[in-house]
Amino acid sequence: MIWAEFLGVAALLIGCAAPLRAQASCFDDLTARQVCLDRPAERVVTIPMPSASTFIAVDGAAQRLVGMHPASKRAIDEGLLGRIFPQARAIDASIAGAGSDGFMPNVETLARLDPDIVVQWGDRGDDIVGPLRNAGLTAALLRYGTEPFARGNLTLMGDIAGKPERAKELIAWRDATIADIEKAARDIRDGRRLKVVFLQRAASGLAAAGANSYNDFCIRLVGGVNAAAELVGAGAVNAEQIAQWDPDVILLNSFEEQLAPARIYDDAILSATRAARERRVYKMPIGGYRWDPPSQESPLTWMWLADILYPGAFHFDLRAEIARAYRLLYGFSPSDSDMDEILRIRTNGDARHYERFATSATR
Amino acid sequence: MSLATTTDETPQRRAIPRWAGALAILTLLLAAALTALCVGRFQIAPLKAIAILLSRVAPLSADWSVMDERIILLVRAPRVLLAALCGAGLAAGGAALQGVFRNPLVAPQILGVSPGAAFGGALAISLGLDGFALIGAAFGFGAFALLLVGCLARVEGRSDTVMLVLTGVVIGALFAALVSLLQFVADPNSSLPAIIFWLMGSFSAATWARVGVAAPGVLIGMATLWLLRFRIDVLSLGEEEARALGLPVERDRWLVFAAVALIEGAAVAVAGVVGWVGLVVPHAARLLVGADQRALLPVSAALGAAYLLLVDSLARSVTAAEIPLGVITALMGAPAFAALLRQTRRKELGA
Amino acid sequence: MIGLDKAGVRRGPRWIFSDVSFRLETGRILAVLGPNGRGKTTLIKALAGLVPLSAGRRIAPPVIGYVSQSIGADIPYRALDVVVMGRALGLGLFGAPGATDYRAAHAALELVGARDFAERPFDRLSGGERQIVLLARALATGSPALVLDEPASALDLANQDRLLRVLKDVKRQGRHAILFSTHLPQHALSVSDEALLMLSASEHAIGPTTTALNEGDLTRLYGLAVRRVTLDLDGSAPIDTVVPLFAGAAP
Repeated sequence: MIWAEFLGVAALLIGCAAPLRAQASCFDDLTARQVCLDRPAERVVTIPMPSASTFIAVDGAAQRLVGMHPASKRAIDEGLLGRIFPQARAIDASIAGAGSDGFMPNVETLARLDPDIVVQWGDRGDDIVGPLRNAGLTAALLRYGTEPFARGNLTLMGDIAGKPERAKELIAWRDATIADIEKAARDIRDGRRLKVVFLQRAASGLAAAGANSYNDFCIRLVGGVNAAAELVGAGAVNAEQIAQWDPDVILLNSFEEQLAPARIYDDAILSATRAARERRVYKMPIGGYRWDPPSQESPLTWMWLADILYPGAFHFDLRAEIARAYRLLYGFSPSDSDMDEILRIRTNGDARHYERFATSATR
Repeated sequence: MSLATTTDETPQRRAIPRWAGALAILTLLLAAALTALCVGRFQIAPLKAIAILLSRVAPLSADWSVMDERIILLVRAPRVLLAALCGAGLAAGGAALQGVFRNPLVAPQILGVSPGAAFGGALAISLGLDGFALIGAAFGFGAFALLLVGCLARVEGRSDTVMLVLTGVVIGALFAALVSLLQFVADPNSSLPAIIFWLMGSFSAATWARVGVAAPGVLIGMATLWLLRFRIDVLSLGEEEARALGLPVERDRWLVFAAVALIEGAAVAVAGVVGWVGLVVPHAARLLVGADQRALLPVSAALGAAYLLLVDSLARSVTAAEIPLGVITALMGAPAFAALLRQTRRKELGA
Repeated sequence: MIGLDKAGVRRGPRWIFSDVSFRLETGRILAVLGPNGRGKTTLIKALAGLVPLSAGRRIAPPVIGYVSQSIGADIPYRALDVVVMGRALGLGLFGAPGATDYRAAHAALELVGARDFAERPFDRLSGGERQIVLLARALATGSPALVLDEPASALDLANQDRLLRVLKDVKRQGRHAILFSTHLPQHALSVSDEALLMLSASEHAIGPTTTALNEGDLTRLYGLAVRRVTLDLDGSAPIDTVVPLFAGAAP
């Protein structure tokens, strides 16, 4: 400890001794490459879809974000974030295409934005990173899809924003929530563990989230069993396979706008599953970001899932939790109707156990 | 390279009477259909599966669950029918086109219909449409592509086969580029994976309604080809020979193309792009019965149906995930095609 | 009956042939002679209705029994099935040949003495055999006019002889007008009643074979000295033949 203090003082002294040298900060990105910034980044561009909202949450503001992926923009425009941070709606989203190969940045468009740092995928090959390097831009690479990566991304955004303590705070919230949930989930007997299927795609063709998905992690965290655990990634499946799994609960992704539980209730086969018979089909909520992939709001996802899966074992007051979380994340107090929208009360309202998410007035 | 060599007047050809050959192929088709009905991820004993099917026509006491019945009658039965219809149609269409073009490398997609239909389907998915809107868009753009090929390939009122093939390639490339463009702008979280899976072909969305949509197109197309069987034989002599025999070659050819487009459009609309069937199966059928359309068309259709039934059974039951049909047809089709080509060549040289 | 009336075919500004007129009655044979590139094939195709006339008129039945110069070895059908295709026009768009058509095909094969070929694959026949089968197909069309484009050009002497005999046999039935083109004046002398010499695009000599094939016109036609000789054979009538004096004739 003494040594650390000493070093700190020494650093301070060196900093004072060389006032003309810009203060460099260095940190590791998720591919363990060192990224150095001469000064805290003032102009940030994010190419991975979830990163824009993560950066806004960690920074608590949208001013420093100058460019993002068009899909990030769509989520912001559709969801609550665009209302909380109206200036986010004006951010440039023309740096990349939307679809396949959409993460290949247009370097010249990027250069025009004059970013201090560009956040890019670190697990999709070097082809989408090379052009950034080649243009002399500073790139920070992230990885995605698991809880450790989600935390790493928060840390990375904290480092970029120069607010590492914010990242620590958000991670501490995750730890605390997980500890809470695990304690209660431990008491669920194996025989009572519910079989859950998360449908990654249902509007045209069916695809379920397999073993190594983040949804699988969430389901297991709250004491459920991922019925589709034999799949790898998001596998296309047929209705017959889902009938064979006969899940207790079906979760619908939040990405497909038109998708609603009626898709399951109206299907000749899927309507005969236990989940449909017991009206336990839920569409994933959407807040500052969609709740199905990992994000800064994941603890809310876990609480929501815990509450609807095991209403007897978990007693989260989700509306209060959302209010607290949004103050922490965005400095924003959502109204009752904001909450209804986040929780998709209109879509999910008549599903089993969803009454516990109703406003205190109607409860 | 010739279309195929006629089997010589070998004893083995005479050894198998026509009716026995027909019976064998029909048995194969029936066996494939029953197998397809009995396998799947949902466990239903084969005998129970057949009993459920028979219960629709005969009074049988039901000792099965509602789910069993729904799986057989609402999931597998339409899927089996759809796979059989598309397999039969695509193979018959391939056989007819290979005859008309006098070219063994021709398959139904050569006319630009399937890239066109693929674009229509992908467009529908990226607009958030599904069901019949998707089918309609696929079919409409398939027909539009054929129309484009027809207009561009016609020079001075005639369209020779080389011009047709080249124009088909051009239009196909155009629509393939449009599909790539759609993929480029599609939402990577929702429509993009849906488009990609649909393009690889699958019967996973089979319903009776879809059978109802695909069946008229495929059946009318196949019936037309069957009626034109002798004309196709004559057309396969070459344009000049056919004209010398008094046939309106241009009109007859377009009749065949329209029939094939009807089949291909209907198949792509309900199952996405299923490649290879129309290319490989006619070769196998020709090895069995020769190039005469009167035998080749029905045998291609039966083999195509059996083949696609088998492929689809694999696609939906090997793993929990649906394997795209296009992957299996190509994985099985490419080596099978190579083997067939070698076999054909060996026969030619051995003459 | 088949014929042309002041007929011509033009490709761009150039006339392939022009002002050709003749009429050929059933039971008669006309031979068309001319050097390479003089338009024999175009004339034959125009007569068969495969090349549109730029001028004049064509007199022909609705379908012609046409035998093209070379039909590839890639026709993967039985000879009988190739012959029965001659019936295509009469069967209509959706028709397929029935017993009657196969009887006609067998009869046609019988007529050209190729009954044995019926079950053999067409692509396994020799060039000469294929020509004979195609002649049978031309007969199977039922057309009173047969038009053959250099039917003997790819055949050895024995097969040339065989083909000419078949043509004679068919002629003897008296139901067909037969027109064929050839490079060899001997073919014309041996079977045809009339000959058409394509001297130039616009100049044609037509008449009974023996007078049309005179030394002067033949020499002009082929651009080398040609002699007519008569061979006396023991025990039969003398026959006329033509001798081209290749390379100045003497070694």
